Amino acid sequence: MLWHKAWLETRWRFVSALLILTVLAGSNVYDYLATQRLLPQLNATTQIPAVEATGLAGVIREAIEIQKDFRGFIWYQAFRQNLTQMGVFFAILLGCGGLFSESSKGSALFTLSLPVTRKQLVGARAGTGLAQLFAVAMVPPLAIPLLAPSIGQHFTIVDALAHGVCIFFAGAVFFSLASFLSTLFGDIWRPLLIAIAIACVIAILEAMVPQLGIYRVMSGESYFKTGSLPWAGFLTSAVIAMALLYSAAETLERRDF
Amino acid sequence: MNDRHVIETAGLWKRYDDVEALRGLDLQVPSGSIFGFLGRNGAGKTTTIKVVLGMSRPNRGEARVFGQSPFNSDTGVAVRRRTAFVSDEKDLYDYMTVGEIVAFTRSFYPRWRGDLEQQYLRQFDLTPSRGIKGLSRGMRTKLAMLLALSRGAELLLLDEPTSGLDPSMAEEMLQALVGHVAAEGSTVFFSSHQLAEVEQIADHVAIIDRGQTIVAGALDDLRAQYRRIQLVFEGNAPDVKVHAPGTHRVRRQGRVLTVLSSSGGDGVIEELRGYRPSSFEVSPVSLKDIFLESVRTED
Repeated sequence: MLWHKAWLETRWRFVSALLILTVLAGSNVYDYLATQRLLPQLNATTQIPAVEATGLAGVIREAIEIQKDFRGFIWYQAFRQNLTQMGVFFAILLGCGGLFSESSKGSALFTLSLPVTRKQLVGARAGTGLAQLFAVAMVPPLAIPLLAPSIGQHFTIVDALAHGVCIFFAGAVFFSLASFLSTLFGDIWRPLLIAIAIACVIAILEAMVPQLGIYRVMSGESYFKTGSLPWAGFLTSAVIAMALLYSAAETLERRDF
Repeated sequence: MNDRHVIETAGLWKRYDDVEALRGLDLQVPSGSIFGFLGRNGAGKTTTIKVVLGMSRPNRGEARVFGQSPFNSDTGVAVRRRTAFVSDEKDLYDYMTVGEIVAFTRSFYPRWRGDLEQQYLRQFDLTPSRGIKGLSRGMRTKLAMLLALSRGAELLLLDEPTSGLDPSMAEEMLQALVGHVAAEGSTVFFSSHQLAEVEQIADHVAIIDRGQTIVAGALDDLRAQYRRIQLVFEGNAPDVKVHAPGTHRVRRQGRVLTVLSSSGGDGVIEELRGYRPSSFEVSPVSLKDIFLESVRTED
């Protein structure tokens, strides 16, 4: 029943995340046609030889080159941008809350009076949240192979699932970060804002030090470019997420209410 | 620690930042008693209940419930399985309906009493499909009591169970509680500001002040033992220290010296006879008197 409680607490966040990300992924499919019509107007930029395209011009040129076919367009628009950025936000949103934030609403004492351990409470909450995150990561990409035939394009289900797994593993880090912060602050807003700030800092650092790579894992860049899943990124993400959830459980275990 | 006591604490200290909520609290709650836990606001009542339930850890001292530590992860679960708790605020899950929270709570208690659940749903006029968010404070209290009484718990811990209720609803709650205890034989430990309701249903009381137990015992024993001795002098009452056993409080006001004693009045009178009072009077005291005299701050 702890799972049911966690589900009831987060169901609207989950449904919102699922709907918004699925609509975003679907709208990216239909954006392809409009973008294809705009491409010829960008000829001047695309005419720059690759060796001369440096700095911003190089970035623009690479973006245009990648998006010339449907698979590249979907990766760039959906997986590299929309689903990654919004996926991070919703992963954080799903991770916020829990027992300590219940104390601001007053119901924490009722929860704590139940014959369960605090670790069980954290476990049920984390398990429910990760299951929701998995659905939020896997379902929206599946909208792409479903809708692609309606515009005469093709996107494999395997590609969609592979990208979904990438979103899930990297998203789990942000989910766990928010879960951990939620054991430090007794409201939902501070963990949310601090986790978003940390996500922004990581994005800036990653632009400077690409080896950090969590957003690259999330976008499935290696899968798109080479066809291989980022196993090292998955492992690192899983270890970080587990460490954060363990810290959350330990922090809550020691907390006074 | 012994098994005649459901709850035992010894020398409990609890500090929150710069506030000492408990300062060496000793408490014994006999099995099968209805134990009234009295104290002013901020005296440490809620902190004591939180410690007993393992929600807060003491800085020093020991607490045992059913002879087990509530702070250990495993024994804490065992303690809470045999215990029902109603918090002061009666805050429950606003996103659930009455039926959902009953089903949710039921799932944790193997000895859940379905017959009592149905009885209290009818008695308290609670509709299972009703959202908790829309319930009044009185109805929330009734729901919290239903969830506590149906657990089949051996110990009921109630923090201000009637706070915020109108007199008729408070009376209804107390009657339900007394009826439940009479039928089920549970131990009840409840904190309250309401001296009248403590006198109405409790058989044991403890009064705490500034995190320490200052009076504790069976209510009948307290009534039998406590006396107020009022001595009137010709001039101002002498500034004396009373050493007689059981002396709780000595107050001087002009010509009058008032002593609260927990062992009758004979020892006090004997000791003060040498000061030649012009008259003295020994009178029984109510729980209210004991409470007010015990927690009165020094002038």
